[in-house]
Amino acid sequence: MNRRMKWAAVLLAGAGLFGAGTLAAQSKAPGEDNDQTLRAMRDEMARSKARLELKIEGQGQPVKPFFVQYRLLDMEVKQVVAEFGALVSSTTSRNRFMDVEARVGDYKLDSSNFVGDEGFRGFLGSSGGVGIDRDYDSLRQDLWIATDQAFKEAVETYSRKQAYLSSLARQPDTDDFSREPAYSSISPRLEADWSSRNWEEEARQSSAALRAYPDLQDSRVAYYFVYVTEYLLTSEGTEIRKSRSLAAIEAGIETLATDGMPLHHFYASYAARPAGLPSAAAVRQGLNVAASEIVALRSAPPAQDYTGPVLFEARAAAPLVAQVLGPALNGSRPPISFQPVFEQMLSGLGGRSEWAGRVGARVLPKSVTLADDPGATNFQGQALLGGYSVDEEGVRGQKLTLVEDGVLRALLMSRRPGPDSDHSNGRGRAGFLNDARPTMSNLFFTSSEALSPAEMRKQFLDKCREEKLAYCLVVREMDNPAVSLLRQDEFSELLASFGGGAGTGDRLPLVVYRVYPETGREEMVRGARIIGLNTRALRNVAAMGNDLFVYNHMQSQVPGFAGTALGAFGSAQSGLPAAVVAPSLLFDELEVRGARGDPKRMPLVPAPPLTAAR
Amino acid sequence: MNRKRGITTRSLLCILILLALSLPPGARAGTADSPAAAPSPLLAAMKTELDRSTAVLGKLDPPAYYIGYTVTETQRAEVSGSNGALLSSTESKSRWLEVAVRAGSYELDNTRKVGERQASSAGPGGPVPLDNDAEVLRRAIWLETDRQYRAAEQALIKIKTGKEVKVETAEGQAPDFSREKPSTYIGAPAELSVNRQPWEQKVRDYTRYFRDSAAIINSIVTFSALGQTQYQVNSEGTELQFGQIRYRLELFIQGKAADGMDINRYYNFDWVNPADAPDEKAVRAVSVTLRKEMEGLVAAPLVEPTAGPAMLTGRAAAVFFHEVFGHRAEGHRQKDIAEGQTFARKVGEQIFPDFLSITDDPTLRKLGKTDLLGYYPYDDEGVRAERVPLVVHGVLKRFEMSRSPLVGFPNSNGHGRRQIGYASVSRQGNLIVSSSRMVTNAQLRQKLIELAKTQGKPFGLLIDDIEGGFTFTGRGQPQAFQVQPLVVYKVYTDGRPDELVRGVDIVGTPLVSLTKIVATGDTPEVFNGYCGAESGSVPVAAASPAILISELEVQKKETSTDKPPILPHPAHDPVKDPAKKGGL
Repeated sequence: MNRRMKWAAVLLAGAGLFGAGTLAAQSKAPGEDNDQTLRAMRDEMARSKARLELKIEGQGQPVKPFFVQYRLLDMEVKQVVAEFGALVSSTTSRNRFMDVEARVGDYKLDSSNFVGDEGFRGFLGSSGGVGIDRDYDSLRQDLWIATDQAFKEAVETYSRKQAYLSSLARQPDTDDFSREPAYSSISPRLEADWSSRNWEEEARQSSAALRAYPDLQDSRVAYYFVYVTEYLLTSEGTEIRKSRSLAAIEAGIETLATDGMPLHHFYASYAARPAGLPSAAAVRQGLNVAASEIVALRSAPPAQDYTGPVLFEARAAAPLVAQVLGPALNGSRPPISFQPVFEQMLSGLGGRSEWAGRVGARVLPKSVTLADDPGATNFQGQALLGGYSVDEEGVRGQKLTLVEDGVLRALLMSRRPGPDSDHSNGRGRAGFLNDARPTMSNLFFTSSEALSPAEMRKQFLDKCREEKLAYCLVVREMDNPAVSLLRQDEFSELLASFGGGAGTGDRLPLVVYRVYPETGREEMVRGARIIGLNTRALRNVAAMGNDLFVYNHMQSQVPGFAGTALGAFGSAQSGLPAAVVAPSLLFDELEVRGARGDPKRMPLVPAPPLTAAR
Repeated sequence: MNRKRGITTRSLLCILILLALSLPPGARAGTADSPAAAPSPLLAAMKTELDRSTAVLGKLDPPAYYIGYTVTETQRAEVSGSNGALLSSTESKSRWLEVAVRAGSYELDNTRKVGERQASSAGPGGPVPLDNDAEVLRRAIWLETDRQYRAAEQALIKIKTGKEVKVETAEGQAPDFSREKPSTYIGAPAELSVNRQPWEQKVRDYTRYFRDSAAIINSIVTFSALGQTQYQVNSEGTELQFGQIRYRLELFIQGKAADGMDINRYYNFDWVNPADAPDEKAVRAVSVTLRKEMEGLVAAPLVEPTAGPAMLTGRAAAVFFHEVFGHRAEGHRQKDIAEGQTFARKVGEQIFPDFLSITDDPTLRKLGKTDLLGYYPYDDEGVRAERVPLVVHGVLKRFEMSRSPLVGFPNSNGHGRRQIGYASVSRQGNLIVSSSRMVTNAQLRQKLIELAKTQGKPFGLLIDDIEGGFTFTGRGQPQAFQVQPLVVYKVYTDGRPDELVRGVDIVGTPLVSLTKIVATGDTPEVFNGYCGAESGSVPVAAASPAILISELEVQKKETSTDKPPILPHPAHDPVKDPAKKGGL
């Protein structure tokens, strides 16, 4: 049995038990499989712990790091892109990347959490690509240089931070780094295997569905697979090796409305393993829905300014919850910034937690419980994407009740303490060696007073009649710009038109209907934008359904933008897998702005032919 | 995420390195001399869409008087190793569409530079399918053409209504686009087939060798094979299809002197015929030299600022000419007020000693036995490459021209070049320096010593290798150039052995330093490299014999503040037990 087959067998066993792409700790002794990567990391760590020190002129004691952390990613990525049935690219790559962090000072005040004005520090950095042979010698050499660099950077940052703090009247009262028990867990390595299906052919077949819509201008269907084994070693004794995988299909489609307004739509599907992805036929079906909707949107009337009840169907409510609560749940302190402009920018873009410091206060309706559970693998038979056993800082993540009966009980914590907690609760998540930040895993938003969809609709229409409105709005789907926008310039245009509203709760619904209360007739509108939908609005939700929807998605890792409609979500390449389970939500009063922005001129030359059959 | 440390920043510089190889003799070629090939169905699809676009957009106000489509198919195999292990081994294939639309007329179009603003005639383009699906390709062309026409139309309106009062110079009166005869040529597409496996082992072995030296803290060796096929059509009737394949092996090592100065050594092999790949012996010889130079340099003394005679070996001289002269002879720079216009009014004047002549010849595949990286049959504006005598017996005659004309130079000579995604400007191809005052290299060295004695200097400088150069040609910056010599020796007049020195930077005014060349060697040496400028990175070559300069000013190079690593190289650590001393 070759190695790949062997691990495939382990994987199958593991998948059944733990699911969601995470293999939990096995009782396998470290090093049993002769892992030279672990050995090299351990040996260089030991050498650094014992001997790394810097004598600084005028200081008696040499400076030593009080904490050193090695992270390494061993990853294999496959990406297949097709448009209108034709293959655009198909690539596979195998890479390994390391990142070394060193801290000087102590847990109370250290070299981290400081945004300084660091410049270019030479070609050799504390992170970068390393050899893919999984050999011992080359990794020792790479870690040696990276550790040296990380330590020197920490010494410099620490002295700059101290100088800056001495100029402040008020010193930070929150520690920089939490003490956590060391944790060891060496799981079997998961080897990449995407040979079970012909992905190039599936990408061609699925994307060809869009040939039936000549009104579309542009489209892209991307299949993305990653297998990654993550290593974490710290000078505190933590040693972790864990594997995960992710498979994704992300499609964006674009066209212009008949009056020249740009329109886009998307389709996305995520699974822990390639085999979990829908078949080409199922993807075609999903693309047909999106394409039919965008074609309907082309001739739909533009939305008008509106104030009144809005019903978010569960499919739209779950991504809304993810957007609004993403940053609010972050309980860690923000970094001290050298430049106040940076701080202002953070607040302006919704990057500040509106819930930090509010534990014990009512933040959601009294009937609502909010829980985050990285151990959950499925909900009512549907797989959940956000699971894991231990976070990227080596802290185990367990189920956490964040809000109980509407009252805030806890926030998501990494090892960066915050006003409400000095300790991590295992939510320091990071993909691809980014900085670990408190990020949701599988988030459950449930109400003890849930209504059936029929009751929800009745209450919605009653409210609408009560307000004597000609029509009220239902949101069926929210936009996901990270997937739906195909070109950078389109993203920039949206960003520009979004203006300063990002931080104040502007939301981008994608599929919106007017419902006329007298007849029940529904009419699609386009270009609506909801404003002021922030955590306070969520606190006053009028009604919640019992139709819980599982929204598997990629949570953005970009700090600052995380809570905005533009930046809440990432793509499979850049985000962190997460799930939100939430019901439909009825708001008594929301403000909606009608379509704005500049229409584009229709193409001057008629479109070339696109024949459906291929 | 960072790429392997060290590579990205270096690519910003114009990296021009010597190549000295034993290769079979080659032929001069006016066009790609591959056998007649069949046109790809891509061309037909591009042509169909071109006709449709021209019929509509060509009649609008302002008219799209020129539309050009380029699809470039790129196949790339790359195998990289570092410190004894494989770093990556990848293969990729892509097709990239670029659409150029010019609105207005040849005399005045949307690319006219007004103030600091210059619109480009083309956007960066985008990927198109690898599958030959005419409908999908046409759809991509259709959308991109519409975008580019819109951009061109808006740019032209801005130009015409621009309120900025500009002093019209003679150079500014040149039209915006030259009229050229259409080119048609159908050559064979590049078909790349590389077995990466042997290279995976080679890059491991080549980098493992560098681990034996404690002076080398990092090493990267990269093999790459690049196959590119260009498909071009334009509204003037040009229809081109041709492919090129190039192979390259790069060796790069990093070290640090005791004072923190970063020391890099780099070498590249380039070849066209797979059989010409460097063998183990050749690579080993280069590796040994690089290692020796590194070990010498980390321990070498810093140079003190000085002025005196200097000899540049052929490869260093070639970089020198590329930077100091070649960039300034690029036609579009003569047109631009913001640029230095160093040579704008010097045509017909003596700018060099009369024993020097300089030609830029992209039609040359080889010089002697060495493949030239700056060979191409047609430029990126579809104009056939031409041999251009730039300087004849010291007198400036012509410029490297793209389709952006100058007064007195109304036509392109096939030097409009760009990296995919950039707009073409005039660039160098193969810059060839020749001399009629030649002596042997040994005699040139003797002359160096004599010159130093005459000037009362204890030594002259011998510059053996220049890694990267960067030329500021803009008017806002000082008219000085900085090339970074990596291997420099003091050649003493009293017969002492040559002494390696570190941290040498050349300073000075280019035109002055060029006039101070007093003699040259008799053996041209070639460097091949990728040169970065406003139209991106393009492959170029330069060739020159060794040169002797009567006076060259050098200064100390800026040094990094980072000290060498605190702990010894793990492979060279005398302490074997990691936990022997102290603790956290």
